[in-house]
Amino acid sequence: MAVRENIQEKELPSDVVNTPIRKQVTDLDHAGGDTGAMQVFASLSDANVVLDGPVGCHVMPAVAVINYTDSVPYLQNVTCSELSETEVTLAGTLGVLKEKVGEATVAGRQVFIVSTPVSELIGATWTTEHAHIPGSAVFFDSHSLDDDEWKSRDRALLFLWQNRDHFVPRPDAPARLPKLRPSVNIIGPTYGNFNSYSDLAEIKRLVAGIGADINLVYPFESASGDTKHLADADASIVMYAEYGRSLAREVGLPTFFAPIGLEPTTQFLRGLGKALGLEAQADAFIRLEKKTTLAAWHDIWRSTHSDFFANAPVAIIAPPTYKDGLTYYMGEELGLPILYSAYRTGPESAPNEAVRAALADASPSPMVVFGSINERMIIAQEKMPSLFFQCSFPGAVVRRATGTPFVGYAGAVWLLQCICEALFDTLFANLPTSAAPPARATVATRDTMRDSTEIVSSSGKGQNSVISWTDEAKALNEKTLKRVPFFVRVSVAKKLRAEAEALARERSSDVDAGIIAELTARYSPRK
Amino acid sequence: MSKQPSSMCPAFGAVRNLLRMEDAMPIVISSGDGCLYGHTFVAHFYVANRPIYSPGVSSEIWAKGSAFDELRAMVFKMAEEHQPSIIPICSLCVSDTVGLPFDLLPKQIGNTEIIYVPLPAYSVHTHARAKDIVVDSLVWRLPPQRKARTGVNLIGEIFPSDPIEIDEVLRKIGTHVNTHVPGPRWADYVAMVDGALNAPVHPFYSESVKRMKMKQGLPFIEGAPVGVDGTYTWITSVGRELQLNPATVETVARQEQAKVRAVLDQRSLDGLTFMVAGYEGHEFLLVRLLIEAGAKVPYLSTAVNTNPLAREEEAWLAERGCKVLYGANFGDEIAALTDRPYDCVIGTTPLCAHAKELGIPSIYYTNAMATRSMMLAKGAADVIDLVRQTVGAKVRYDRIARFFADDETHLERTYTSWAPKLDLTEHLIANQAL
Repeated sequence: MAVRENIQEKELPSDVVNTPIRKQVTDLDHAGGDTGAMQVFASLSDANVVLDGPVGCHVMPAVAVINYTDSVPYLQNVTCSELSETEVTLAGTLGVLKEKVGEATVAGRQVFIVSTPVSELIGATWTTEHAHIPGSAVFFDSHSLDDDEWKSRDRALLFLWQNRDHFVPRPDAPARLPKLRPSVNIIGPTYGNFNSYSDLAEIKRLVAGIGADINLVYPFESASGDTKHLADADASIVMYAEYGRSLAREVGLPTFFAPIGLEPTTQFLRGLGKALGLEAQADAFIRLEKKTTLAAWHDIWRSTHSDFFANAPVAIIAPPTYKDGLTYYMGEELGLPILYSAYRTGPESAPNEAVRAALADASPSPMVVFGSINERMIIAQEKMPSLFFQCSFPGAVVRRATGTPFVGYAGAVWLLQCICEALFDTLFANLPTSAAPPARATVATRDTMRDSTEIVSSSGKGQNSVISWTDEAKALNEKTLKRVPFFVRVSVAKKLRAEAEALARERSSDVDAGIIAELTARYSPRK
Repeated sequence: MSKQPSSMCPAFGAVRNLLRMEDAMPIVISSGDGCLYGHTFVAHFYVANRPIYSPGVSSEIWAKGSAFDELRAMVFKMAEEHQPSIIPICSLCVSDTVGLPFDLLPKQIGNTEIIYVPLPAYSVHTHARAKDIVVDSLVWRLPPQRKARTGVNLIGEIFPSDPIEIDEVLRKIGTHVNTHVPGPRWADYVAMVDGALNAPVHPFYSESVKRMKMKQGLPFIEGAPVGVDGTYTWITSVGRELQLNPATVETVARQEQAKVRAVLDQRSLDGLTFMVAGYEGHEFLLVRLLIEAGAKVPYLSTAVNTNPLAREEEAWLAERGCKVLYGANFGDEIAALTDRPYDCVIGTTPLCAHAKELGIPSIYYTNAMATRSMMLAKGAADVIDLVRQTVGAKVRYDRIARFFADDETHLERTYTSWAPKLDLTEHLIANQAL
């Protein structure tokens, strides 16, 4: 559903949605509240963020991890209060914090103080007599002992709106232009959000395509002083369902969500067009897209590529927006069997153990697993024959080129292209022979034919005889083949048979379960 | 101004070494999801493809004190199901501040050693110190030294082929490498009690070697077989400490020294000025090589704190015009970059990012240097070749720097725009007292 004009109270992440806190955690899949809030505030162009914590709470998210999620060497507008044992056990954080806030307070920059687990544990806050002065430092309690990154992002965005009158526009901020056309807010992304650079570029392209202007891309391309101007738009687009909804609801404009898939994108464009009074332009744009961006989609759809879709199963494990979006697009629109799908993050989030069990037991194994590094490790550790395609964090990746969107028409084309490439990769990995150069002839056929009367029957377990298979071997063979995607099963069957019989000949035995087990242990999609 | 040294989360120095142990199942008691996410993210990126286990934490769990019960249940389950050699329990900031009763955990379950590793990052301060804590916590579990002892215990993360090369040299003087830690097995640590001498090749293992001397009566030497002087001094120190044949030791030490000199003679860095800043703690060794190859290094900025094991290194560097700044926070270095024409920067990600912005060839210490051998002739060649290759790429760095130089928004968000600007290189050196 693309058009949303009323967001229900129970849908608001700030109030309700949080990833459950489990008794035991294996391979965590989400960051915490301090990280989420920092990623929101640091996205504002005039923000200086001070994390109230030890150096590790700053360096881990803002130097180490950010380099592998956003390919940014480090966040230059983030620092921390550098708590040491003195502050934690005796002095409290206010002294060091004041010093850091003082350094960060420079003309044209708004300071945001964010709590961390250690500061929350010792009950540190920020109370000064300057709180009422516009532009003074503001304190955000990130609930980092309890809240996940997504809930925290949502709360932080709402916090910005609630404090909109506190923020001072930069003296050098360009004057706001008179409004000529209907305009929209794009709420989200922030730092640390998988693939957001491409998704944002696609949403901007769609908005421009129907003839609307962008009021604000918030927080990424805005300053804190712009916050109050969110109200100047005619509609809001929330990029990811995980956060930004509470802000959109408070701003109070018709709200749309970034669409994944063909039909959702069409609905999105029509809905947005209607809300902005640009219905005719939206329809014209959709017609044009069919001849341009989507021509590739239609060509692939009409090709033999799509014949394999029904036999190319996938598994999708991701935060809600991508999990729901990919499941719909691949399952409903493309017709790929969805063997397994699960949420990472949010109230229905699946624990790692459940994902591992589901993936390892799947028969056939998925051709592609869409997931994070957690799934990538499961594929490797469980020796699954599946390809991996990253669709969420954690996991080091570079997604800064803007040509890899999941949302919009361009996203539909990109994902379709990726599926086809996965098909080809799987096919190649399972081609039945790599005999280059070919095996040498060991006998001169003519001579043998002339000299021997019983070349086949006399050779027993020799070169040309038929090798027999034990029942256990057949059963194991069957079981192995069932794990392989259907469309390459014939290739794999040939390869397994050839290798098993070669081994049996070498050992002068039948093909037994031991041989099959030995071969399948070697088996992996890249070999 | 920054007071605390710049460091990766200090605790990670320990977590990574423990995760690399094949027969260990570390439990990480994080301070919260933000903390655990950071540790698992980087661990799964470059430490190990293996699960990381943690008890769930929240304000309610801390308040009720139920975290310990969960931990206890978890330890028993892991020990019984998997029977690893050790289960190290990494206690990070919050759990260590709350103070879980780790003493109530059994020391052993079956054959599994349960070892508490205290890592409150706010008081550990440096990555290097955390590595020291790991060795210390693990070795403290071992019995007092046995009677028969022989060979050298190498302590410090070094290139995989280094222990083999060093062993070859030691055999020429009548001893050998007994074990090397941090290693991939608990047995590597257990073997330490059989050794006759500890050789911490990185200077930050000071606490663990001191305590081993106290408990196991194991002596230690300083320094590492790095560079012309370092190689000679290290080999002769081993010889002296183990009372090996002085004539043989002298001959071998001279031979190895000559090999290193030959390598450096062919790879001159004459006339080049380097900025070196690191948090790993073996920056000293790198600077030694650079200086011996003819480079100028006005000062070494290191996040590690003053350390008795580094005194000789420090004196050696001082004689050659290189001042050591301990507990450094690299904001100052970033500011200093614009004031002096450095030919190459070897430092942290932020520092290198700024250097590249200015067109100065640079390498991230951890990725490029810490993973390389520096020991003996082979290591010297490897490191200096990499440095020369980097400096040689100056044209490329310049070209990109010029292209992006007019992008105002690019410079607008820089840390230096709100960091103090008065810090010239000379000023930094002069104010070592600060």
